[in-house]
Amino acid sequence: MSAPRSAAPGRRGRVLRLYAPLGLYLLFTIVPFYWMLVFALTPAGSTAPVPWPVTFDHFATVWNGLGYAVFFRNSVIVGVWSLAVTTVLAVMGGYALARYRFRGRTLFMVVLLCTQFIPGAMMLIPLFTIFKSLHLINSLGSLIVADTVFNLPLSIILMSGFVSAVPFSVEEAAMVDGCTRPRAFLAVVLPQLRPGLIAVGSFAFIHTWNNFLFALMFVSRQDSFTIPVGLSYTIGEYSADFGALAAGGVVAALPVVCVFAVVQRYLVRGISAGAVKG
Amino acid sequence: MKIRTAWAAFAVLALAAGGCGSGSGSDDGSGKTTITFWDNNGGARTPVYQELIKRFEQANPTIHVEYVGVPIASVQQKYDTAVAGGDTPDVGGVTTSYLANLVGQQALEPADDWLAKSPVNGKLAKPMLDSVRATVPDGKLYLVPNTSNMDVVWYLKDLLPTPPGTWDEFFTDADTLTKAPDQYGYTIRGGAGSIFQVLAEMYSYSGISEFFDATGKSTVNDPKNVEFLTKMASLYKKDTPEADVTNDFPKMVAQFGTGKIAMMHHNLGSYNDHVKAHGADKIGAFALPAGPSGKRTIVANPVDGFAVFKNSAHKDAAWKFVEFLVSKESNSYWNSKTGQIPANTEAQTDSWVAALPHLKTAVDTLADPGTTVVSPPYYLPQFSSITKADTEPLFQKVLLGQMKPQAFLDTLAQKLTDAQAEWKKAHGG
Repeated sequence: MSAPRSAAPGRRGRVLRLYAPLGLYLLFTIVPFYWMLVFALTPAGSTAPVPWPVTFDHFATVWNGLGYAVFFRNSVIVGVWSLAVTTVLAVMGGYALARYRFRGRTLFMVVLLCTQFIPGAMMLIPLFTIFKSLHLINSLGSLIVADTVFNLPLSIILMSGFVSAVPFSVEEAAMVDGCTRPRAFLAVVLPQLRPGLIAVGSFAFIHTWNNFLFALMFVSRQDSFTIPVGLSYTIGEYSADFGALAAGGVVAALPVVCVFAVVQRYLVRGISAGAVKG
Repeated sequence: MKIRTAWAAFAVLALAAGGCGSGSGSDDGSGKTTITFWDNNGGARTPVYQELIKRFEQANPTIHVEYVGVPIASVQQKYDTAVAGGDTPDVGGVTTSYLANLVGQQALEPADDWLAKSPVNGKLAKPMLDSVRATVPDGKLYLVPNTSNMDVVWYLKDLLPTPPGTWDEFFTDADTLTKAPDQYGYTIRGGAGSIFQVLAEMYSYSGISEFFDATGKSTVNDPKNVEFLTKMASLYKKDTPEADVTNDFPKMVAQFGTGKIAMMHHNLGSYNDHVKAHGADKIGAFALPAGPSGKRTIVANPVDGFAVFKNSAHKDAAWKFVEFLVSKESNSYWNSKTGQIPANTEAQTDSWVAALPHLKTAVDTLADPGTTVVSPPYYLPQFSSITKADTEPLFQKVLLGQMKPQAFLDTLAQKLTDAQAEWKKAHGG
């Protein structure tokens, strides 16, 4: 008889200590998204707190009228290429930093960290000049290169932490068995880096997906803009289309939300692994 | 083997990254001249330009116009980067608010000679041409006007059947139209863009017709302006929503769209948003009222138009496009779609202008000989930073009661006086 009496206060305590604060926090974070959905799905001028009556006019406006079909395609191209290049280079750089002791290694790590404090806007004109001389202006290639370059420092640091977590003795064992170093890396280290690869890849994709500055500055062709530029079209000098802005926000957020939903388990593990090991 | 495959994949990746752009050029191989046009407010008005470009290309089959919509919030940065990188468009949408900056970088080609020989010569509104010329030190026409705007107070006819004729009546109406719990007589723009609106209100109240006196001292802190600002700031939270302290124009227009705000000061450009929210018959607009002096004074809005860039390899084709855009038909079409004042005087007489009451109010006010137009010093390179980053947070302090209107206007006046003195020194004034 005593068990139910002690379980009840325990459950109440858990609800008060855990579920109530988490519920409140969830409510706090989800309300803006809810409002975005309401604005995206209700007719202009509606002040109803629920998305009823439902209209998809705003989605049609952004997808067809504002050219989101093209912007979305461009964002996917830039995001996926940046993810791929960043991940490959981060694995190489991270492995070198984790496994080799060379002169200036610590300084190199510090420089990598320092690059995180340089705002993208400061690099605009030098990058613009470089891309122009390489004939990359107005090309999605310029966005892939620029985003990759800005993604790389943090990605390399994260990846080096992750490589350090894999004992070198495993690689040595593979080499004793006849593997070359690259072969040993591919056979025994790379499979263990999966959470790190997912963390770095997601980080690169999301950062690239949301980058407005480079997308606007290095491209001057309507058919080469990406989603963040499209989003900014909904607020003009004297007018704002909130329905289109919200619908555009839903379109822009959807891939990021999906990526997070799929990889969030690895992302947290990957970032924490990379963050605590040097 | 796997290593080689990985390197091959990476090489393909790198090559594809460099090659997945669409490239650009001024000749598409068919003998056509391609010019690039940057719209300085891309988005809602993109279809208007697309239609005009279609018409232009039909009339000029040897010229192809490539449209690029630049978001308004980043247009200055985009131009600055393009100028620094030497990759400017052939034609760009430009307003007088950043014209001096572009001219200072020697990015634009003056249009005086082209205009002198053009059929549109003499058909563009003189006040707009004067305003453009007054913005730059050499007085040349670097921007061909397309449109202008005017500050008005939008109101809901259901709540306010008769608009106020004076600022005193306005303050009374703002008070009587405020009804608990959630109806407000007015909404103040307390966030981004607040200073230009406050300047427009103060000068319409005080009737002062110059931003600087003969000695170069700013008139912003004139006692009449201080008197007005004290009255306006006292409306905050009493007759306006508390959230107004961070109001930029989208928030302000959205608030007005709920139908809970009786009056809102903005300009003609938000007309389409109000129609969408309330219907054309439910909204009205009146020019900023006169103050105790009885004089009608309005602060000139920036003039928006087109500029040919110095780097253009096809300046004649670029001018042809500009000329087409400011012709009667094109200018009338553009302004009828955006609800603004046409720069082409023949377009100003079109029937659609008279059919839109808010536009007729604006055109009549501007044409009234009793109206004095005060030109803000757009030519000062620091004007934008002074009226935005430097003083917008101070205006919020005024609304919150943390700074006296007198102290705020003294600070603003000092900054403008200093900038004016610096400009005069640089240009031998």
